[in-house]
Amino acid sequence: MRTELNRRSFVTAAVSVAGAAVMTPLLAACGGGGSKHKTGANSADGVKSALPAFASSTSVKPDIPSVSGADGAVTDPGFLTYPASPVATVTGAPGKGGKYTAVTPLWGTVPPSDNSFYAAMNKALGTTIEMKPADGNNYDTIIPTMTAAKKLPDWIQLPTWWNPNFNVGELAATQFADLTPYLAGDKVNKYPNLAAIPTGAWQAGIWGDKLYGLPSFSTGFSIAGTTFYRRDLFEAKGITADQVKTLDDLMNLGKEFTDEKAGTWAFDDVWTYLFPFFDVPNKWKLVDGKLVHKYETPELLEALDWHYKLATSGYLHPDAIAGNNADANTRFYAGKTVIQGGGTGAWNLADNLSGTAATPGYRRGSFDFLTAKAGATPKLFMGSSTSMMSYLNAKLKPEQIEELLAVANYLAAPYGSAEYTMVNFGVEGTHHTRVNGVPTFNDEGKKDVQAQTYPFLATCSSVISNPGADQVTKDIAAFQAANVKYLYKPLFWNMNISMPQNIATADAGQAVEDTIKDCYHGKKKVSDVQAAISTWKSGGGDRLKQWMTDNVLSKYGTGQ
Amino acid sequence: MSTARSERGKSTTRKNGAVRLNWRVRLRRDRTLLLMTVPAVVLLLIFNYAPLFGLVTAFQYYDPLIGVRDSEWAGLAQFQQLFHDPLFWGALKNTLWLSLVQLVLFFPVPIALALLLNTVLSERLRNFIQSVVYLPHFFSWVLTITIFQQMFGGAGVLNHFLRQNDIAPWDITTNPHTFALLVTSQAIWKEAGWGIIVFLAALAAVNTDLYEAAAVDGAGRWRRMWHITLPGLRGVIVLMLVLRLGNALTVGFEQFLIQRQAVGHEAADVLDTFSFYYGIATGNYSFGAAAGLFKSVISLLLIWGANKLAHAFGEDGLYRR
Repeated sequence: MRTELNRRSFVTAAVSVAGAAVMTPLLAACGGGGSKHKTGANSADGVKSALPAFASSTSVKPDIPSVSGADGAVTDPGFLTYPASPVATVTGAPGKGGKYTAVTPLWGTVPPSDNSFYAAMNKALGTTIEMKPADGNNYDTIIPTMTAAKKLPDWIQLPTWWNPNFNVGELAATQFADLTPYLAGDKVNKYPNLAAIPTGAWQAGIWGDKLYGLPSFSTGFSIAGTTFYRRDLFEAKGITADQVKTLDDLMNLGKEFTDEKAGTWAFDDVWTYLFPFFDVPNKWKLVDGKLVHKYETPELLEALDWHYKLATSGYLHPDAIAGNNADANTRFYAGKTVIQGGGTGAWNLADNLSGTAATPGYRRGSFDFLTAKAGATPKLFMGSSTSMMSYLNAKLKPEQIEELLAVANYLAAPYGSAEYTMVNFGVEGTHHTRVNGVPTFNDEGKKDVQAQTYPFLATCSSVISNPGADQVTKDIAAFQAANVKYLYKPLFWNMNISMPQNIATADAGQAVEDTIKDCYHGKKKVSDVQAAISTWKSGGGDRLKQWMTDNVLSKYGTGQ
Repeated sequence: MSTARSERGKSTTRKNGAVRLNWRVRLRRDRTLLLMTVPAVVLLLIFNYAPLFGLVTAFQYYDPLIGVRDSEWAGLAQFQQLFHDPLFWGALKNTLWLSLVQLVLFFPVPIALALLLNTVLSERLRNFIQSVVYLPHFFSWVLTITIFQQMFGGAGVLNHFLRQNDIAPWDITTNPHTFALLVTSQAIWKEAGWGIIVFLAALAAVNTDLYEAAAVDGAGRWRRMWHITLPGLRGVIVLMLVLRLGNALTVGFEQFLIQRQAVGHEAADVLDTFSFYYGIATGNYSFGAAAGLFKSVISLLLIWGANKLAHAFGEDGLYRR
């Protein structure tokens, strides 16, 4: 059981790691010059007419209400209790007896296809949805073979950080069902739970001015991840996180916590979630009306310099240097590292169970946003409003699309509703029992329900809820509330940009990214990255900038 | 294998004087054998020859969503880009260097092991040793590399021991300069045992009377090995060498993929991983196909050259002239 939880929580971390790596404005690669697909971004008018109208739902009142920040950022509501008798938001079964297939990524053990949870869900939905979860770690290579063979299932989840890999912009135009006629404007009112999904998340599902995507886990506090620390071990030494304000403070912890003889190092990999605090933009920034790529900023070099120092200081765990990320959480649970970067998905109930199983008293904490210079105000760019987006197959007939949208409406029911309980905890008695009033998985539930499948098709907007581990919920809510004011919208935020292939290749900057990785592992100097960047610029980077200026910036603006 | 050897021995005698039979007669005579090869030929056609048509993508701006037919023609543009890419030349250099290191350090190991094993008289002991050295072949690369990391990695058993005793740790698994030695030792640990099978079979075919006769004539252990055992193995060694040369540009994939982060991309990228990272991973399929095609052409030339060389030395090579 413990290993399963370990794997699961690692995996949620991995999701967000991958997410952060490409947390760019959603860029979609597109065929060569010969492609008939339109490149560029969505027009403001087009987005307006495709977006569903927002209508908030009357859900359960949160124990920890949302806090608003700047630029429209808002924290997720926190829940410490669970309604004793969940209310139904959907009357009857939404389905009409159709048979469908659905493919979703799963970071964990795939449950048997004939499990009791699927059967119960099919009954509740009134339709047979054959769930086919595929290995999340290889999802980016599994999907292109399906799309190339034009063998997509009826319903599929495509995480947005892989939009360029899947070429979603072009896929939408050729193989996905256009949902605009069903959901645009007030039409969404037919599906009240879908109407309660915030507008920003829908925007990430619009391609070529048409709505294709159904968002899951939309959030107003969208960050790729953060820098975690072992709160229990810090407190044992009398150190609190608010003593750490700058990156130099952070580096100084290295000496405090590294004890090579005991096999303990202070740091695991931190680059992915730390470099923005050197004031490095997400990807682009605007200087005097001109685009500047993050590779061209001196701040990036400062960030690299700091990380190179960290790698060569002896404070970074040797397995992290060796690129062994799969065991990062195992090291963290065992206290072999005390500071690690990770996706926001790494911080939850499952993590708490795995951590306390390894070390009683385990408590994960996150540093607040940091700054490179003492006294400066920290800031961090927002990610897109959702990183999980599902799509329907273009081959479906209108009545089938309506049936699946009704199913999506069921899946998107708000926290604490009867449908939410069914989707997230299964059937009471079979998959979970109430312990102290909150649903708690039994073994069957852990095996079949906890492995997330249906929520990757549609969910209500994100909530913080960890039944049975209230401390985790409180910690996360406090972290979000303390930092929401520092979030800002980056350039081209939530704009779905489709690029021609050669531009997309330059945008991926694979050679530079590889060298950056070698640098923060101490194998390449900052000057080597500079050399890689100048090769990148002449080999496509300059063309990328020109293309972005001509096709996105001057036509559609900054999206801010 | 041993029967194959003796068959070959028979046909050699036939080679010079035999009359070529009518193809119809031969067809009737060999039809069972031919039938038995059909499934293998079909598999080869489907999985090795049919995909060759995909090579056309190397000359296109291939987009899998619109298919080969509708993708725009690129001519030699992908190759131009490839030959101007310093990372490609780096990957080629790594491939050749690793191939050379493996040829020198890896290739003789199974032969030596086979010779050693052949001297073990107790059959039970021999079978035991054989099973032990075969075993790693069935491990995946992930497992093999994990074992190496657990033993020799920065936080592994060896370095933990060194630190405990106030000795500076030894950087084995993340040092790009000694990466070739690391991967070769991994390959030896994993594959050398498996590689001895073919040589053991060849050894079994050596006529034991010869040893007896030589011993009677006063030949010592070394002389017998030099004059009987090694000549008996020569044909197989040359065949394996020719195949090895033909595969000189294929030094492995997973092994490098897994350890790429540990030593950095400059040290770990070989042609295959280059195609993967800079072709497939960034959706740049045509570029990856161009790199793959380049590799195949060079491999073909190498195997052709090596075969010629084998013939020049009077050996069979891949096929008899």
